[in-house]
Amino acid sequence: MRASFTGQPLDRIWFVKCRFARRKYLNRRLIFMDVDLKKLTKDLAKLVGKENAFTDRPTALAYAKDAMPWDVEEQNIPYAVVRPDSSQEISRVLRYANEKKIPVHTHGSGTSLVGLGRPKTNCIVLDMGRMKGLEIFPERGYFEVEPGFHIAKLRKALAPYNALLPAFPGSELVATIGGVVSVNTSAHAIDATLCKPGDYVLGMEVVLPTGEILQTGTESTRKPAGIEATKFLVGSEGLLCVITKIRMRLIPLPYLGNIVAYYNRTEDILDTVMAMYKQGIPTPMFFEYLDEKSSKVGFEAVGLKAPPGAVAMITIDSSTQVGCEEKTRKFLEFLKVGNPIEAKIVKDKGEWAQIWSSRAEAGNYIYRLGSTFGSEITVRVDKLKEAFHEAQDIILNLESYKGNEFYSFGHIGAPTIHAYAFIPTKDIPNDVKKAVAKEVRDKTEELNVKYGGCGGEWGLTAQRATFLKKKYGEVYYNFLVNLKRTMDPNNILNRGNLEGWM
Amino acid sequence: MDVNKKDAAKETLLKEIARCRSCRFCVDVCPTYQASEGVESMSAYGRLQIIKYLLNGILEFDDSLTYFLYSCLQCRRCEVICKGKGQDIDICKVFQMGRSLLSQNLVQGSSNEKI
Repeated sequence: MRASFTGQPLDRIWFVKCRFARRKYLNRRLIFMDVDLKKLTKDLAKLVGKENAFTDRPTALAYAKDAMPWDVEEQNIPYAVVRPDSSQEISRVLRYANEKKIPVHTHGSGTSLVGLGRPKTNCIVLDMGRMKGLEIFPERGYFEVEPGFHIAKLRKALAPYNALLPAFPGSELVATIGGVVSVNTSAHAIDATLCKPGDYVLGMEVVLPTGEILQTGTESTRKPAGIEATKFLVGSEGLLCVITKIRMRLIPLPYLGNIVAYYNRTEDILDTVMAMYKQGIPTPMFFEYLDEKSSKVGFEAVGLKAPPGAVAMITIDSSTQVGCEEKTRKFLEFLKVGNPIEAKIVKDKGEWAQIWSSRAEAGNYIYRLGSTFGSEITVRVDKLKEAFHEAQDIILNLESYKGNEFYSFGHIGAPTIHAYAFIPTKDIPNDVKKAVAKEVRDKTEELNVKYGGCGGEWGLTAQRATFLKKKYGEVYYNFLVNLKRTMDPNNILNRGNLEGWM
Repeated sequence: MDVNKKDAAKETLLKEIARCRSCRFCVDVCPTYQASEGVESMSAYGRLQIIKYLLNGILEFDDSLTYFLYSCLQCRRCEVICKGKGQDIDICKVFQMGRSLLSQNLVQGSSNEKI
């Protein structure tokens, strides 16, 4: 018999009760709601203004699809889209939705790669696009930004203050800071060097699903020690609250040195990363790779000659120029461990921009040639090579599709392997697309379970809720459900993501 | 437009739209999206979706759709970003063909007919 925290035994009835309550909570989608669209339009117009509330079907459909390869279904189509411009307006919308028990889906820019951007049930979409305020306080050592601010624009706005924004998503032209903090992703950067964006968040303003507005954290650069709400609201994937303001520390911009290294085989790069951690070599800020096939696509896409094999691109950071040069030189020396064909420091900014963009373009250009189904493998670093080979084996022996190819690239220094199944056509039936996506995701996530990984970039709910159960078990999953139920009693926020509805 | 031509146009359009990866890079660069203060149905991506759903019958022909499709300025900023960062789709050509198919319905006056 298991014991509770108080030492009292937990009997079977308690477990049955919990299971029943959880099922009832998660099955809310099955209860068809009687939403009067005309009334909803009227009510929402009162809350956010007529010009910011939309219930027309074309607008609703524009917000229904995300980067998932299969088409939208009826349940993905929102009832309405609202565009609030203040936490007070968001509070009013959430209060209303909570009272009427209408789900609410928060929309940043909809660029998630694991289905977070697609509503899983008919809902009100909360488009954060108008929440674009920014105040920079160099004298206080932080800036405050609203969630709809785009990452690339924020980086540009911080540059005059010599500040680094610690998030580097491939979609940074359109990705929002709200999305980055909600998922707590630094994307391409190496955690061991730069940590996660959440580590620099000093405090936030959030609106709870029941409409209350909370201020969390501190205005000091000294982060609170002990229990403090910012820590579990950062990275909560829009399940627990809507973030309306983020206070983030200004990080001094480091000096950067760049290295490109050409290898015969991807395995040599994996060996290098494993040795880097084993030998305690200071990790770089970025350590990207393109496998043999991806490098050809990426390099040719940016007008460079195809390299002979796999390619690694490394960016070293240091607070001083001399330190940066020394660190880069030492890292170049260390790279000999992987027997590169050639490894060199790239000082010319134009040359580096071209090499660096080949990594970014590889994904886009591979997709131009057909359809891709991706994964995120972030295993224990000493198991990197085994995981890579197993991933290759999984992708090349899919049950849901025969004859696909294997491509891989990613932030290998982190370590993250993006293993892709590539099908050289776009003409694939919807159900096959769904089956391939699911098989690739499920099987590669088994590698994360097997080799101690958890994913470090794309978030963990929506399509990956099953992974949470596999990795941590029912008790952990129930803990998350209970946490959500405590804060969101009617399960209105991003309903379907924690449940894993596809 | 006769039936065969209409079917061929529909197929060409759907094929071109199927190349879209939903990366949404074309959303923010669209001047009508900016002018509308950020409504996605007023962006290039939104219009691609609208045409797709018209063609596959999820959206029905409606006069209000002309507003979404004809508001495009054909400035091709979306095409520039799609060529550089996305899938190199002939977005403006898709809109023109979408408009043409819509016009056919307008002329015929069959306001509830699916394309």
